[in-house]
Amino acid sequence: MKRSPFAAGTAAAVLAAAWMHAVPASAETGVTDDTIKIGALGVLTGPNAKFGDTIYNGVEAVYKEANATGGIHGRMIEYVREDDRCQASEAVGAVKKLIHQHEVFMIHGGACSNASLAAKPEIVAADVPWVITASTASSLTDPVHPRIFTTMLAGWMESYAQVQYAIDLGMERIAIVAQHDNWGRSRYDPLIEAFKLHGIEPVADEEIAPDPTDGTPQALRLQAAQADAVILILFPKAAAVILRDAYKIGYKPFLIGGSTVGDVGVFANNVGIPGAADKLHAVSTIGYTADDPAMAEWKAKVEAAFPNDTFNIYHMFGIASGQFVVEALKRAGRDLTRESVSQAMNDLSVETDPYAGPITCTPTDHQCHNNAAWFGLVDGVTKRVGVTAVTR
Amino acid sequence: MFAYLIASGISTGALYAMVAIGLVLVYRSTGHINFSHGELFMFGGFIAYTCFVILGMPYFVSLVVAVIGGFALGVLCDRTVYRPLIKAPALTMVLATVGFSFLIKGVARFFWGAREGGDYVAFPAAVDPSPIPVGGIMVFPQQLLVLGGAFFFVVVFTIFFRRTRWGKMMQATAENATAAYLSGIRVERVYTMTWGTGACIASAAAVLMAPLTLLSPDVGFNLLLRAFAATVLGGLGSMPGAIIGGFLVGIIESLAGGYIHTGLQEVSAFIIIIVVLVFRPAGLFGIRRLRET
Repeated sequence: MKRSPFAAGTAAAVLAAAWMHAVPASAETGVTDDTIKIGALGVLTGPNAKFGDTIYNGVEAVYKEANATGGIHGRMIEYVREDDRCQASEAVGAVKKLIHQHEVFMIHGGACSNASLAAKPEIVAADVPWVITASTASSLTDPVHPRIFTTMLAGWMESYAQVQYAIDLGMERIAIVAQHDNWGRSRYDPLIEAFKLHGIEPVADEEIAPDPTDGTPQALRLQAAQADAVILILFPKAAAVILRDAYKIGYKPFLIGGSTVGDVGVFANNVGIPGAADKLHAVSTIGYTADDPAMAEWKAKVEAAFPNDTFNIYHMFGIASGQFVVEALKRAGRDLTRESVSQAMNDLSVETDPYAGPITCTPTDHQCHNNAAWFGLVDGVTKRVGVTAVTR
Repeated sequence: MFAYLIASGISTGALYAMVAIGLVLVYRSTGHINFSHGELFMFGGFIAYTCFVILGMPYFVSLVVAVIGGFALGVLCDRTVYRPLIKAPALTMVLATVGFSFLIKGVARFFWGAREGGDYVAFPAAVDPSPIPVGGIMVFPQQLLVLGGAFFFVVVFTIFFRRTRWGKMMQATAENATAAYLSGIRVERVYTMTWGTGACIASAAAVLMAPLTLLSPDVGFNLLLRAFAATVLGGLGSMPGAIIGGFLVGIIESLAGGYIHTGLQEVSAFIIIIVVLVFRPAGLFGIRRLRET
């Protein structure tokens, strides 16, 4: 049977049209004509659920705003969350689900370092871009991996910032009081490195349990060493005990706290003795308090989008990180690929609303946030009192 | 420095003594160490926190509610853990009380844990939080309250055991449960009372301690460990031993931390347990026969 050229041409045209409809404009996983699917790996249940979910609500508030203003080059962001329960054993399954079941374009999340460290090999193997929101383990981003970036202060940065800040304030006799559990060691070791880099020795180096009933021996030894500044590597409970007992014995040094006591006003209330926290300055990832007027707009947006939430610093981590990712996606352009967004992030500096300085990634440094803000009580109100650009 | 260390050692020691009293009470009656005792302590503290901070009740009322709540939890422990396993091997009881401790901790974490800023809550002082001079050193009024509380409970329990019918029934059951049963004592009720009483003392201790530290769902284990060291040092099963042991553990911790190294403060309890078990297994006031059984 002889085929007519017209019929063959028509069939080819129909097939071509059908193929064009079946295949999206972009063939990149997780990206369609009108959506970009991004996965959140983090703690949604268990003891730390509020922290994980809250951060992702902050991220999602930014994504909602981007979607409301037309999306990223016409594409709406879909944000899917999987629960790692803050556990390494759960993180692997959660990240596999994001990559292979949800088929996300990139991952934006990670709050618990142990879980994130467990997830990292899966993410690297799948060659998926990953922006870390809150995990602080330095080894996640050092050495540099072309697809992995963090918008959180790395663990070592806080410790370096504490030493730098004490020196900048002209303190000469600097002491340490630290808890020596796993968390404490992850801060204490870089702290000692920082002391060595500056060529100074702590005048006293005291230990306390994370859950102490008494801090009098530590306070007495610090006083005996005549330390004019004391660096705290402590959870709030131990820090409160030290502050109370130091105050009790009449010892009032300058106190340089970590981010665990970053909300100085709340912490001072918890210490419960008027004046005991007056000489405390604490480092923080964020540049403003949650009730700062500069954050009022975001507070309204977050609380409108998530009526069960009360706006707090964890939302602010998410907002800063979300703003960074949105800018990276814009820079990557309409022809969005994992490679293009990684390239965009590889050399990107973004001023965010919640942080004290820009999030800046370079080809040699993917620990992109290094502006540690300092907070203290000024006339009884928590205020930012300084910023330290941390370098190693 | 010495005066401060001794004062703080006595204050924390009083707390350990109160927790140790409850531990010994249950051990004397049942022959088992209650490994959920620290969590009973913690839960009592959170009950008081709910009453005092969240509901705005007066401190003393919160203390009473916590003590009653602690008693109820102790009874629950008896009914759900001890009673069903009363004839089970000792190891089973250990595992059961450890399991119960995890359950209580989980419940506490659900209601009071994982707050913004940390897994802890602040418990305001019952009295003026500012330190006051006592004998040439400064102390917190709350420390004096802890000391007074410990003294109160020691006196109350001495009277309870020596003068009341329930106290005598408890002692009789502790000495020989079978003989107590044959002489008409309802031993099972005594057990229930014992678990409840032990937990209510722990709750009272928690309410006294909470304003000196912050309260967290994990606070119980550390206190259990120190109370256990106190009971081992004083002699397992000896009530006066638990009290004196508690004070000694507090003072040893404080002096070791102040004069040798602050790292020793945390491990002193472990060292005490090891040294006592090696050199004097019956403790300071324990009866060798009791240890051997």
